[in-house]
Amino acid sequence: MDEYVVEMRHITKRFPGIVANDDVSISVKKGEIFALLGENGAGKSTLMSMLFGMYEPDEGEILIRGEKVHITSPAHATQLNIGMVHQHFKLVENYTITENIVLGQEPRARILGFLPAVDIKGSDKKISELSKRYGLEVDPRKKIEDINVSTRQRVEILKMLYREAEILIFDEPTAVLTPQEIDFLLDIIRGLRDSGKTIILITHKLEEIKNVADRCAVLCRGKLVGVMDVASTSTKAMANMMVGREVSFTTDKKPANFGKEVLNVEGLTVKNQDGLTVVKNVSFSIKKGEIFAIAGVSGNGQTEVADAISGLLPSSSGKILLDGKDITAMSVRERTLTGISYIPEDRQAVGLVLDFSLSDNLALKKYFKEPFCKKGVLQEEAFDENGKKLIEEYDIRSGQGITTTVRSMSGGNQQKAIIAREIELSSELMIFVQPTRGLDIGAIENIHKQILAQRDEGRAILLISLELDEIIGLADTIGVIYNGEMLNMAPAETLTAIQVGEYMMGVKAV
Amino acid sequence: MKKEKKATINPINRGFLSVIGDDRRQSISIPLFAIILSILAGAIVILLFGKNPITAFVSFLQGSGIIPKPEYAAKKSILTDFMSMMNSLTPMIFAALAVAVALKTGLFNIGVSGQMLVAGFIATITVGYSHLPPAIAMPLVLVIGVLCGGAAGAFIGWLKHRFNINEVVTSIMLNYIFQYVISYFINSYYVNPVSRQSNPITAGRLTLVDVPAFGLKMDIPLAFLLTIPIAILVLFLLNRTRLGYELKIVGLNKSAAKYSGINVGRSVVTSMAISGALAGLAGVTLYLGYYNSIMPRTLTAVGFDSIAVCLLGNMHPIGILFSSLLITIISKGSNYMSSIMNIPQEIAQVITGLILLFSACGAYIRYKVAQAREELSDLKLKAEQKIDGEGGEKA
Repeated sequence: MDEYVVEMRHITKRFPGIVANDDVSISVKKGEIFALLGENGAGKSTLMSMLFGMYEPDEGEILIRGEKVHITSPAHATQLNIGMVHQHFKLVENYTITENIVLGQEPRARILGFLPAVDIKGSDKKISELSKRYGLEVDPRKKIEDINVSTRQRVEILKMLYREAEILIFDEPTAVLTPQEIDFLLDIIRGLRDSGKTIILITHKLEEIKNVADRCAVLCRGKLVGVMDVASTSTKAMANMMVGREVSFTTDKKPANFGKEVLNVEGLTVKNQDGLTVVKNVSFSIKKGEIFAIAGVSGNGQTEVADAISGLLPSSSGKILLDGKDITAMSVRERTLTGISYIPEDRQAVGLVLDFSLSDNLALKKYFKEPFCKKGVLQEEAFDENGKKLIEEYDIRSGQGITTTVRSMSGGNQQKAIIAREIELSSELMIFVQPTRGLDIGAIENIHKQILAQRDEGRAILLISLELDEIIGLADTIGVIYNGEMLNMAPAETLTAIQVGEYMMGVKAV
Repeated sequence: MKKEKKATINPINRGFLSVIGDDRRQSISIPLFAIILSILAGAIVILLFGKNPITAFVSFLQGSGIIPKPEYAAKKSILTDFMSMMNSLTPMIFAALAVAVALKTGLFNIGVSGQMLVAGFIATITVGYSHLPPAIAMPLVLVIGVLCGGAAGAFIGWLKHRFNINEVVTSIMLNYIFQYVISYFINSYYVNPVSRQSNPITAGRLTLVDVPAFGLKMDIPLAFLLTIPIAILVLFLLNRTRLGYELKIVGLNKSAAKYSGINVGRSVVTSMAISGALAGLAGVTLYLGYYNSIMPRTLTAVGFDSIAVCLLGNMHPIGILFSSLLITIISKGSNYMSSIMNIPQEIAQVITGLILLFSACGAYIRYKVAQAREELSDLKLKAEQKIDGEGGEKA
C-alpha cells in the first residue's frame, strides 16, 4: 500500500450549479511524474487545490503516505511536504528573490546578540546553494519586478524546495513560457523526479505529457475517464479520451484565392514604452483571402507590430496603408471604422471588460453607432438583440445568457465572445494575436475553423502566434520575426517547420 | 459521525438566508442589515451611559422633524425642524453624488470639500456681494458653482492624464491650497470683524430664511428641488448614455477602453469635471444656502462624510438619496437628543461611524450568505439522495 504517496479516493466537490469533481480517485507513486490531463474546466485544478488545502472535498478522503488526512489549509499542506506552483505566480513584486522564498519561514538572526532580525545574508547563501543543487540558477538578490516570467517560475519552484516539499504540484506551468523555456522547464522537472521528488503536472498539452510524464490521468467534465501509462499510449488516444470524441489534428484548408492588396506596411519602426526600438524597419503586405502569419519566439516584437497596426502603439517611422488609405496617423477608433478587427493577445486585460455583462462586451466596438446609440443615449434593446444573435451564432456558453458577467465565463468562451464581436465588424483586415493561447483542443479546433472561414470569405488575415504548429497549419505566407526584424518571408508551402524554427532562433541570418 | 454533524444547518445561517438570501434584493437588504446592526450596537453604547436607547433614537427623529417633539418654541413646529433638516440634507446629496460619479468611473475624489470651497467662495464674491435680484442671482450662483467645481475637478483629472499623478494625492493637496489661499483672501478683503467669518452675502442665497408661513417662521431650501432630478440625471448618465458607458469602461479597464477606441485621457478629465461640478453644487448650497458666509481656514466635513454616505448608498444615485437622509437625520437630530438625554452629542458620530463600519462589511455579509446557501443546497441534495437510495433498497 505505501508505495503510493498520494491517494485521493472518491473525491467529490460541488460548487453552486456545477459538480467540479465527481467521484474521482487517483493514486500517485513516489518518485513518478503523474500528469493530469483535461480540457479547461475539466476539474484538474480543483482536484489539486483540494490536495493543497485550498478547498476541502465534499466527499471522499485523501491519504498521504498511507495516512488519512484532512488538509485544511495550504500551510497544513506544506507541513505534509506538499508544494504547488500556481498558474498565476504568487510573489511580492518589490521583494528580492530570497525574501520571497523565505517569506513565512524566515531564518532568525540576532543583531548585536539580542535584536531579532531576519537572516538575509545566510538565506541568500542557502538559496544559491539550493538553486545550484537543482540547476535552477537565479540571483537571490534580484527583485521580482526585475526578472522575467521563467525566472519567476523558478523562484516558485525554489519556494517549494526551500519548504522541503516532496510532492510538487505544477498547475499549467508552461502556459506562460516560450518553446525553449518549456524545454528547459521539462528538464528541470525530470531532474526533480530523478532526485526523488514526486511530481503532479496539470496540463492540457499532450506533447508535454508525452515528453515527461510516466503516468497520466484524464479528466473530462469532472469525471475520471482513465489512468494510463504514457509510454504505451498514443497522443491521439489521449486526445480523444480528453475531449470525449474524435479529434482531427489536421485542419481542412481550401486552396488559397488571393485578391487585391489590403494591408501594406512599409518600413514600420516601433518603440515600446521604455523607448527601446522593438520593431525595426518591417515591411510586408497582405492580400484579400490571404493568411499572413508572423512566427517568432515571444518578445521579438510581434505583438508590437499588431499594436502599431491597430493604433494602440504609435509608430515612430514608416507607413501603414489599409486599402490604399494611409492610416498611420489615425486613432484606434478611426482605424476600426476604416476596417480593422483585432483579437488581442491578452483577452482579459485588453479584449474584454470583465465586470461588464456579455451583451455590453459584445457591443464594445459598435456601441457608439446606430442602432446601439441614438443621440448619445444607449438603446438597450439593440444591445440585447446583438448579444442574443452572437451567442446563438457563435455558440458562446455562459451561465445567464447576455446578462452574464464576463469574468465568470471560461477562457474559451471569453475568446469566442471576442472573436464573434470582431468578425461581426466585417473588417477588411483581421488581426489575430495568440488566438488559441491557454485554450483546450476543442476550442482551438473551433477557432482555427473560424480563421479559415474568414480567409475563404476574402478577408486579409494577420496571424501572430507562438505555436509553430498553428502557423504551419493555417498560414498561406509566413514571415519570421527575430529581434524586431523580419528575417524571412515566403509562401508557407516552401517552408518546413524546421526551417521556420531555425529562423525563429535567429540561426539563419539573411 | 461527520455526516450527522453536518445534517443540520446552523439556525442563524438559515435565518440569514431567509432575510437576505435573495440576490436581486441584496443591494437594498445588505445596507439595511448594516443599519440594523449599527442601531443595535449604538443602543449598547447608549445603555453604557445608563440611558434608555429607545428614547434616544426617538429624540433623534424628533430633533430632525420626523416625529413631533412634546413642545415647541413660538413660531416653531415639526415642519420647521423638518425644513431645517432638508436644508442640511441638500449639500450632502450633491456631495455624495460627486463621490459616486468618480468612484463609478474608477476615480477617488477625496477633494470634494476643496471643490465645494472654491465654488462657494467664487460664487460669494461674484454674485453673493452684489445686489442682483434673486431671480437672476440664484440661477447665476448655481451656474458659477457648477463651473468652478467642474474646473477644479477637471484640473485634477488633467494632472492625472497629463502627468500620471494619482488623483488622491492631487485632490488632497488642492484641498490645502484652496483652503489657505481662500482664507488669505477672506481675511484680507472680506472678513467680518465680529463673526471672524466672511461678510454675509447680500444676494443669491439659495435658502429662504425665516419665511413666515402657516403662522411659523421657517427655512426653505430651494435647491432641494434640484436634488432628485439631478440624482436621476446622474443615474441616467451612468447607465443609459454613451458617455457614461465610456466613462465606466475607462474606470474598469483602461487597456480595454483604449482598445475599443475610447480617448482615455479625455474620459478621465470628463469624469473628474462632472464629479467636481456636483461638488460645486454642494458648495454653493452649503455656503450660499445653509450658511451665508464662509469660515476661513476650515474645510467642511460634508465633503468627507459624503464619501461614507456614497458607500452606504451603494454608489447608486437613488440609494444615495436615502443614505444622505439617514445620516443627516442622525447628525441633525443629535443636538436635540443631546439636550434632552444629557448624552454627549458626539454619540451621533459614533452611530454614523458604526453604520459605515457595518456597511463596509457588505462584501463579507454577501460571502456569508453565499456560503450558507451552498450549505443548504448541499443538504437538500444529500437528503434527496438519501430518499432515492432508501427507495431503491426497498424496491
